[in-house]
This record gives sequence, structure tokens and C-alpha cells, in this order.
Amino acid sequence: MTNPDPGGRSDPERPATYIRFDGMLGYVENGFNLIAAFSILSLMLLAVAQVLGRLVLNAPIPGFIDITEQAMAIFAFMGVAYCQRVGGHIRMEIVLGKLHGRTLYICEMLGVILIAFTVALLIWGSWFHFDRSWNFGDSTMDIRLPTWPSKLVIPVALSVLFLRLLLQIYGYARLVANPDRDPVGVPVIHDVEEVAKHEIEEALGDDAGKGGAK
Amino acid sequence: MTPFDVGMMMTGVLLVLVILGVRVAFAAAFTGLVGLIIHFSMMQGFERGFMTAIKMAGTIPHSKSVTYALSVLPTFILIGFLAFYAGFTKQLFEAAKRWLGWLPGGMAVGTVFSTAGFAAVSGASVATAAVFARVAIPEMLANGYSKRLSAAVVAAGGTLASLIPPSAILVIYAILVEQSVGKLLIAGFLPGVFSALVYVAIIVGVSAWRGDAPAIKGFTWKQRFESIPGTLPIIAVIAIIFCSFFFGLATPTEAGSLGAFVVLMVAFAKGMKTKQLFQALHETAKLTVMIFTLIWGVLVYVRFLGFAGLPDAFRDFIVALEFSPWLIMICILLAYAVLGMFMDAIGMLILTLPVVYPAVMALNGGEGVSAADSTFGMSGEACAIWFGILVVKMAELCLITPPIGLNCFVVSGVRPDIPVQEVFRGCVPFFAADVLTIAGLLAFPSIITFLPALMG
Amino acid sequence: ADVTWNVSLWGKRRAFTEHVEKLAEEVKARTNGAFEIKLHYGGALSKSRENLDGISFGAFEMAQFCASYHADKNPTLTVLELPFLGVSDLETEVKVSKALYEHPAVQQDLGRWNAKLLMPSPMPQYNFAGKGDVPASISDFEGMRVRALGGLGKLMEAAGAVPTSVTASETYQAIDSGTVQAAGFAPHAHLSFKVVEVADWWTKNLNPGTVHCPVVVNVDAYNALSDEFKAALDESVDPAIAHYLDTYAAVYDKWWPELENRGITQIEFSDDELASFSEKAGPIHAAWVEEQSANGLPAQEILDMVKKTIAE
Ligand code: NA
Ligand code: NA
Repeated sequence: MTNPDPGGRSDPERPATYIRFDGMLGYVENGFNLIAAFSILSLMLLAVAQVLGRLVLNAPIPGFIDITEQAMAIFAFMGVAYCQRVGGHIRMEIVLGKLHGRTLYICEMLGVILIAFTVALLIWGSWFHFDRSWNFGDSTMDIRLPTWPSKLVIPVALSVLFLRLLLQIYGYARLVANPDRDPVGVPVIHDVEEVAKHEIEEALGDDAGKGGAK
Repeated sequence: MTPFDVGMMMTGVLLVLVILGVRVAFAAAFTGLVGLIIHFSMMQGFERGFMTAIKMAGTIPHSKSVTYALSVLPTFILIGFLAFYAGFTKQLFEAAKRWLGWLPGGMAVGTVFSTAGFAAVSGASVATAAVFARVAIPEMLANGYSKRLSAAVVAAGGTLASLIPPSAILVIYAILVEQSVGKLLIAGFLPGVFSALVYVAIIVGVSAWRGDAPAIKGFTWKQRFESIPGTLPIIAVIAIIFCSFFFGLATPTEAGSLGAFVVLMVAFAKGMKTKQLFQALHETAKLTVMIFTLIWGVLVYVRFLGFAGLPDAFRDFIVALEFSPWLIMICILLAYAVLGMFMDAIGMLILTLPVVYPAVMALNGGEGVSAADSTFGMSGEACAIWFGILVVKMAELCLITPPIGLNCFVVSGVRPDIPVQEVFRGCVPFFAADVLTIAGLLAFPSIITFLPALMG
Repeated sequence: ADVTWNVSLWGKRRAFTEHVEKLAEEVKARTNGAFEIKLHYGGALSKSRENLDGISFGAFEMAQFCASYHADKNPTLTVLELPFLGVSDLETEVKVSKALYEHPAVQQDLGRWNAKLLMPSPMPQYNFAGKGDVPASISDFEGMRVRALGGLGKLMEAAGAVPTSVTASETYQAIDSGTVQAAGFAPHAHLSFKVVEVADWWTKNLNPGTVHCPVVVNVDAYNALSDEFKAALDESVDPAIAHYLDTYAAVYDKWWPELENRGITQIEFSDDELASFSEKAGPIHAAWVEEQSANGLPAQEILDMVKKTIAE
């Protein structure tokens, strides 16, 4: 099996179907995160245009605040599944860090099940929120942009997260069944040193974080 | 069961979940959701109550994320990621070395000032420590500085980034407590500088006493002035950001965007590649979504608390305590110090503020209290700003304290030849400096409130 | 209490919320405490923009909101936000609001949200406070950057001004720094957002319009009330409004001296100037009728009814 894995994970003993779904979902997640990244870049350019337009041309962008607010749903939500995949949502690892083997995987699995339950209900609730704005109407305060597109982003992004969580539940379940398997598709727990290494990579770029002390 | 009982019970559940390692954002959303279901089931019966709870919870992610004031966050984060590529680190450090090297421990003093300068374009403490570990530590070691001091000064200097604007954590505080983002950011400036000066005093004192950190002499005035042009881009960015906030020339989001734009241009001029921009954007997006998830997740829980009436109850409890308000304040700060040893700074603030902040405000005499009628001798607004800077300073302190002082691990990670225990030991004087700083901020609140008061 | 209702409000307790305070007090007295109305400030139960959503699924029984926060959620109510309707005082606004609430199309509009209109929170006319050269005539607004949202923004645009996005809390700084030259608020908001501290002038008699902010109740909760409680609630509305009007009058006791003390120029436009300003409102009224008629609302009928009630 040589499915490309966008997360860069590899494993000798790969459950094929699972890996394939994981890979496809990975592409979707990466794409969503890319959209979020570009929405940030666009927001920055829009704000620069707003300032210059106002100061230089006396022509600010009409409804700048309305546009910014509605667009915020993109970078606030589109990367949520990607962030879960790479273990980016913060947590305390004081207790988990002490656990090993099956106990650890059971705890991790229960944690993800709890998240999946929450996210499922939130998808439902946020869909209702979208549905009201779609059926009854809703618009922003200044230039009356419809709010439903922005409200739709939430159940969509959370649905991708939900799929990711299902995969992680499966990933932990197969480790609970046999803790000696290599972990696939689940973020491995980092101790503080590894967290630090990640932070360094993020601050200095790919080539860093290997501890080059030259 | 009263709504209040449900509130207490679910708060207990949340604590257990967080300690057990459930991701904080979702642990809070889960607790809030279940709490809402129980609450509305008690009011309306399970079938109706369940749907009411789901629909109520479902409004929060959009409602709370789509808030203009929060749009400044990704711009600040982006500035931080790009500042390294723009080459700000080296030039700052070079200039600081040439101008301040003659002091006892001069290189370390230079490191503190250059981290403070970098803090003015970076919103993240950990990233600041990471980049300076690369630039400053080798030079200090080459000049005969001990590993312990070199590493510690970088770890400690890095913490300045969350006080000196721009600072993501101060923005989050401002939004949670509904105060002006611009004022909170400006308020962090003097305490950041004050912190840096206390660090410098400690370095000069300890170095003069121990003699293990030689002064660097022999730079001519010509060489000193030659180091200035290299720092101009960073000074320009600082000026843009600071003036925008202080004089209100642009909103925080606009200022953050202008700053990010200028840093981006400088970074491109300094040879940053498109691939690196992509990487910076990717990391910015990841950190942004992490923070937003945390915000709305916790706000689901806070909405439930609102229905349960818990913040009001905690406020009444604190106000009814018969201890001196100053003692209560110090206890609250100590509690933050302990919590911060085990928790991420942003997570800690978002999780605790909705309950703690109203209590602190009530302790001072309420939101609208005048300075004359207040407990701590400052108006409601000033107290909100003062408390914000204090808790952020507490959160920063935890970056250099064991067991998980992340800055120390980062420095040790960049320099594997320096064990993390060594960095923690080196941080002891800086820990003392921070305690002094916090005492100073408690005793002289005007260090915090002076600049924001000028803004009107 | 036998029945407890929660009210979702945003911000602090202020003149704008005093009728709800009074309503709770009156209802409690009339039912000997058996019907309790609990006020929740600071958006603890919902953000202001989502108050109608919360009402629709019964998370709370009563809420206040402003029609302009989400025009498309409550298109019929926005008729009262059209510019230059000629509402001269709060009493007139109460009168026209009550008439509007009786209209079946309006009840149907709010009925989609499971909401029943209980009472208005009449707001004074928005006027502009600004810094710099005093605009003596309408043409002086040409090119002026103003903070004016929605319909007011459209009107100012028609007069040649440049509506500029600024949040309410940032207005003080925005005017001080020249990001905008003027902002349109009701007087109490000019006070609370500290616009008066930087303003040089105020358009005393421009009176271009205002926002409409009703208090609504959840229909199911209302229908579930016993006849006695229902009567207690309904009968409490008039005393609540009367109390509200008194409180607002007190706000003006602070407003006029504030203008005097700060030496703020109070601009009184001539009748001719006002007429040429209100001419700009004509097309905006027409556009509203056209848009809402296309949405299937009896827009012309509603507008005529409003104008007639105001003229009475
Ligand atoms: Na900073
Ligand atoms: Na720590």
C-alpha cells in the first residue's frame, strides 16, 4: 500500500481502508486550513486597503467591519479538524503523560469519544442556527450582508472535525485491542521537550528544531 | 437540585476532565452543553429542554467568534511568525550589544533589550525565546558567559513579548472582560519596559558580584551609530503599531494588518521565500483556530454558567470574605501562579476569567466605581486594566518556572548542550526579578494605568 | 415564585433598560411575588444580535433587541428606522410603535421567531456630533467621513458624506484622531461613548431618524400564563413606559448642561436646509417599499399607517 499521507505519517502495519480514509480526509483538512490561511492574508490586505483608502483617497471600504466579521468564520473554523489531527488543541498532559500502554489508549479513546459526542451535538445546534438565518432571514448591521454563508461554515467545518474524531476513535480502539501496534492516525503524546521542539520549528522554520547549535 | 448546584457540579466535572487531559476547548464545550441540557430539562422537561440546550449551544460558536475585536488576533500572530524572516533579531541584538556591552553582564543586558524590542513586533513569548536562543546564546558563550546565564536570560527575556504590544493574550483578555483592546495593549507597554529594567538591574548586580559575565568594551561611537540603520525597519513597525493604538489612527485590526504587511515586505526584501510565507501562514492559521476554538468552547460553558448564575454567586462569595481585599488579591495571583505551572497561559486565562474577573471588579467596588470610592484606589476601568496586566505577568512568570516552564525547554531544545535543569537554575534570579516586578505593579498601579489614562 | 421568566439584556442597567426593571417590579407587586421576572444583563444569556434566536427556541421568555441589528430578521420593524418620518418626541414614538405592533403583518413577521411584541424602548432622534469645521448647510457634509450605520448611513451617503466603519466603542478615538469627523448617536450614547469630549458641534434639529428597539416575549410562554398573570403583565406595560420616559427626561437634564459646559456649537438648520435634507429621504422610503413589497409584505400600507399615526 502506498497511499500518500498528507500528515507525513508512515507505518509498517497499515490498516489499508483506514489509511485511505485518513489520507483523503487529510487532503480535505489541509485544503480547509489553506483556505483559512489565505483568508488571514486577505483580511490583512483588506485592512491595509481600508486604511490607505481612508487616509489617502477618502474612500474607505463600505461595510469593512461587516465584511471582516463575516469572513472571520473562515479562519476561526476551517482549520479546526487540521488542528485536531496534529494535536494542536491545547490540553494538560500531567496525568496522561504518566500513563502507558492500554490504560493510556483507553483514556485517549474516551477523551475523543467525549469530544465527538460534543461536536455531533454542536453540528446539530449550529445547523439550526444556520437554518434560521436561511429560512427567516438575517443580515449584518451596516451593509446588510446575509449571514447564512458564514453560519454555514460552522456545521461544515465541525463535520470534517467529526469525521477526524471518528477516525481517531478507531485509531485508539485498535491500540486498545493491541497496545503493541504502531499508532496510526492518532496524535502521539508529546512530553515537554517535544512540545518545545515543535515550538522551535514553528518559530524558526522547517530546518530548525533539530537542535543545530552552530 | 437548584441551577446553582448544577453549575457547581458541572464545574467540578470540567476540572476533572481538564486534569485528565481532555482538550480544554472541548472539555469546556462538553461541560457547557451537558450543563445546558440539565438546566433546560429541569425547566422544560427533557424532550423540550434537550432541544433548547442544543439550539442555544449551537448559536455560540458563530456568535462569539464573529466579533470584530477578535479579528486582530491572526494579524498579531502573523507578525510574530514573519518577524524572524525579516531578520529583526540579529540587527537588534547587534545594536544592543554595541550600545550596552560596556555594562557588567553587558551582553546579557543587550539580550534583554533586544528581546524587549523584538517583543514589540512579536506576540508570542515562546517564539521570541526560540529565535534569540539561536542569535544571542552563541555570542554570549564566545565572550565567556556561563551557559546558565546565557540560556536563562533568553528564556526570561522571551516572556516580555506578551506584555509589550502586540500581544495576543492581552487582546483575548480585553475581549473577555469587554474592555478596550487598544488601551489594554498600550497598558502592557510600561510594565514590559519596567520588567526589562528589573531584569537588567538583576543582571548588572549579579554579574558585578560574581564576575562571570564580562563587559564587552571597545566599540567606537562610529560603530555604534552604524548599527542603527539595521534596526530602522523594526523601529518603523513598532512606530506604526504603537502610534496606531495610542493616537487611534487605526483600529487594532488595521494596525496589526499594517504591521504584518510591513514585516512581510521587509521579510521579502530580506530574501524570504514564498514557501516560507506559506509555512508562516499555515502556522498562523493553526494557532488562530486553536485560540478561537478555545474561546468559543469555553464560552459555551460560560453561557451555561450565566443560566446557572454561578459568576454572581462567586462574586458575592469573594466580596463577603472578611479578609483584606489586598490579601484576597494576592491569593488570587498566587492561585494563578500555581495554575500556570501546569496550564497553558491562554487556556488558563480563558477558563478562569469569566468567574474570577467579576469577583475582582466587585472587590474593587464595581464596574462603574470612581477611584475615590474604590477599594484599590482606581476606577473600574483602571482596575480592569491593572488586573489584566497582573494576570498576564503571572502567566508569563510560569514560562520560566518548573515543572513545565516552556521557555526553558525551548531554549534547551535549541541548545541541546544546555540541560533544561541548568536553564531553570539560571532563571532563579529572573524569577526573583519577576516577583519584584509584580510587587512593584501591585504597589504602583500607575505604571500600568498611566498610558491608557492619557488615551482618554 | 410560581412562574419565573428570564429576560436577556445586553450592557449595563441604564435608562434604556429602566422600563424592563419597572415592568418586573409592577408584575411582582400585582401578583404578590408569584410571577417573577429576572433580568440578566451583560449578554449573559445571549449576545444582543441573537436575542431573537433565543426567543424562538424558548431559551428565555423575554428579550430586548434593536431592529437595525439585523434588518432582515425583522423587516417590518425597520419601517420605524426610515429617515425623516417626522417623529418629534418619545411620546409620539410610543404611539406609533404601539400602532405598528397591532398590524397583522408585523405580528406575523415576529411570529416566525415565536415572538410577541410587548413594548417599545423609544429612542431619541440620532443626531451628529463632530469635530472640526461646523457644518452650516447640508453641502458641508460633502466628503465628510461619518460613523453612521444602515439607513442613516444611506441618508448621509445621499447627502455626499462618506459612511465609515467604526465600532461604537472606538468612536471616541476615531473622532479624536480624525479617522471619522462625526458620528450619529442618540444623546445618551454620545455621552456614554464620550463623543461629547471630543466634539465641537452637534446637529440640534437635524433629527434624521432613530433605531427601533422593542421588548418581546416568547409566544408559548405568554400563552401558558394564567389569565391573572397575563393581565398583570399587560397592565404593567403602561406604567413601565411612563417610568422609562421619566428616566429619559433625566438624561436630558445632563445633556444640555454638558453641551453648554463643553462649549459645543448647537447647529440649528433652517427650514429650507431641513427640507432639502429630507428630500434625500424620499428615494430611501420608496426603495424600502419596493424591497419589502417584493418580499411579500404590505409595505406601502404599513408606511402609510405609520405616517398617518405620526401626523395625528
Ligand atoms: Na509583544
Ligand atoms: Na511552568
